[in-house]
Amino acid sequence: MKWVTSPPASAYRLAGDLGVRVVVANLGLACCSMEVEAAVARGLLVPDDGQDPESTVLLVSGTVTDALAPAVLSARDHLDGEVVVVSFGACASTGGPYWDAPTVTKGIDQLLPVAGYVPGCPPRPEALVAGLLDVLRDRP
Amino acid sequence: MTVRGVIALIPDACTSCMLCVRECPTWCISLQAHPEQVVDEGARRPRTVNVLDAFAIDFGLCMYCGICVDVCPFDALEWAPDHDYGAATRAGLVQPMERLAAWLAPP
Repeated sequence: MKWVTSPPASAYRLAGDLGVRVVVANLGLACCSMEVEAAVARGLLVPDDGQDPESTVLLVSGTVTDALAPAVLSARDHLDGEVVVVSFGACASTGGPYWDAPTVTKGIDQLLPVAGYVPGCPPRPEALVAGLLDVLRDRP
Repeated sequence: MTVRGVIALIPDACTSCMLCVRECPTWCISLQAHPEQVVDEGARRPRTVNVLDAFAIDFGLCMYCGICVDVCPFDALEWAPDHDYGAATRAGLVQPMERLAAWLAPP
């Protein structure tokens, strides 16, 4: 089987002047990704304009199965520079409702270092923005 | 009904009956309690009550189904509108009793 070599990620920026310049690469794997789209629809996230960001966030939103785990790592490796990984939703954080499933990764922190967790099933779009700001403002 | 917020606890209403813990599909609730004897004047023998020591919800696991809110016989669990409670660590998603109680703003 051949894994995806380029990330199926869509890139966004935080709307408004929130003090951080960040590109959010959304790795949408399940329903949590709908809330990222909801954040875009409400104008909390805007499409990436290609300017040089201070930080790059890989937002893993959705259920990661063990079979899909290499694709998550591949997505991280395909982003330029230092990548801050944020886990969005219960599945990406712990496995969530699939905590007992043998094929589901029990949290992406088993695969790669995670800078922040946004809880919810799914989290609200406001929680996404708040979670991103928490992560980025705490960074040195 | 839920505003897609968070689940809060009213500790004084909780009788440590464990129904929420056992009904939770993701087993995200933990509860610790101990029994205490209460002596009532004129009663033949002391009453035994459960005293809640610790209550925590792991919001990394919680699927916000609301079953715990529904099954609680004493309405000790309630929906609250908060959404901003992310964490930098996995353990930070586990919210203790004090935080769960603080989510219920006074009316």
